[in-house]
Amino acid sequence: MSDFLIDALTHSDEPHVVQATLVSASGSSSKKIGAKMLVGASGRLLGGVTIGGCVDAQVIEAGDDLIARGGRRLLDISLDDDEAWEIGLTCGGNVEVMVQRVAPADTRDPVVAAYAVVRDALANDRAVVVATPMDGAPGALTLDEQGTSTGSLGDGAVDAEARAIAADVLRAGSRDATVTTPAGARRIFFDRFAPPTTLVIVGAGQIAMSLTAFARELDMRTIIVDGRERYATHDRFPLADSIRIGMPSEIVAGIALSRRVAVVLVAHDYKYELPLLRQLLRAPVGYLGLLGSKKRGVAVRDLLREEGFTDEELARIRTPIGLDLGGKSSPEVALSILAEIVAVRSGKRV
Amino acid sequence: MTAYRATVIEHFRHPRNRAPLPDANRAADGANPLCGDRIRIQLRVVDNTITDARFTADACALCIATASLLTEHVRGVTADAVASIGGDWIRASLGSDPPPGRTRCAMLPIDTLRRAMGNAIP
Repeated sequence: MSDFLIDALTHSDEPHVVQATLVSASGSSSKKIGAKMLVGASGRLLGGVTIGGCVDAQVIEAGDDLIARGGRRLLDISLDDDEAWEIGLTCGGNVEVMVQRVAPADTRDPVVAAYAVVRDALANDRAVVVATPMDGAPGALTLDEQGTSTGSLGDGAVDAEARAIAADVLRAGSRDATVTTPAGARRIFFDRFAPPTTLVIVGAGQIAMSLTAFARELDMRTIIVDGRERYATHDRFPLADSIRIGMPSEIVAGIALSRRVAVVLVAHDYKYELPLLRQLLRAPVGYLGLLGSKKRGVAVRDLLREEGFTDEELARIRTPIGLDLGGKSSPEVALSILAEIVAVRSGKRV
Repeated sequence: MTAYRATVIEHFRHPRNRAPLPDANRAADGANPLCGDRIRIQLRVVDNTITDARFTADACALCIATASLLTEHVRGVTADAVASIGGDWIRASLGSDPPPGRTRCAMLPIDTLRRAMGNAIP
């Protein structure tokens, strides 16, 4: 979920907004579970629950009604279209979209309180899950990576079971689940929010410039690292979140590395690559890419193997870097690098 | 392979004294703004004599090799003697002069060492 959506839920000056969340999908769905759209009382729209317009249009219509009436509803929307079916152009399947009215200025609103927790967790680099009943009952519960839980779904036993499911969702991703209580079964949506990927770019050249521009669209934080003041400038990298100049191996040693960090070595200079690879091959980064030809990659691996790195460790270096999209220009190479990072982050075998 | 090339590769692959010096009392950072070489030289100086010298660097092979040779050479050397280290020492240590345009790579550790001598740290 983008920062601007969280801002809109916790700091909007509109008295009410409707939050729509894609909570389940069967058949073909073009967006991930948890995709969101906000509908403002003024007609303002943020985000989207599907990539196309047909479902979003129905959500907007329901949203306008909810703004007036309040509450929470589950929309069951068919993606089938008889005419489209006839000519073979339908996606097919069903999606469920949970829509709920939220009062952004009301800190007693359980959804607003939950999103304040989300904002705080993300600011402190922690993933968090928000559990929301799908049956229209009020309440929301959160659980973060440190085990801290806030809010309630209105019943101690339900809360306990929801926290156990939320702990699993923290590892696996957003989904709905049914919690059984003496009063009956309750469907609950578990929405996972994780801090953005941090993209550490070593080498402030043309590819890095394209990387910072594209990464912003992907909600990644970017850190430019170089030893050359004339390259790593704010003029060249107006969209970078951070520009750090100095000895690259020292700079990267000072960055908190985790599976949410992707490091791309695009300086194409062994003076930076070798010290950094020695550090990073045994660090828990989620992605490690090295710009260069296949032949150069072999030479780098051979050199590091002689220093004692294992084949398993050396296999973590993605070189030639990026998916093979066939492009050669700097923006095309940057696109292929980010495509590979997204694929790796999504668990694809590439 | 020439003696020059063999020396540079040997010291780049197996640099001597490439590590932080915890009890350093002199230090300086050096950089080549064009190529991006970065080096830090740390010294332990007692009674005007270098008793230990180490370096850390993200730099090219020639710069690393020169720093490796230099930190070996200056142990036991006085401050006055450091001033005389220059082109002749590079030629003698590497087996020949660096190629045209690469002199600054070899000079960076020497310039940084000289500045370190005048830069006492608490």
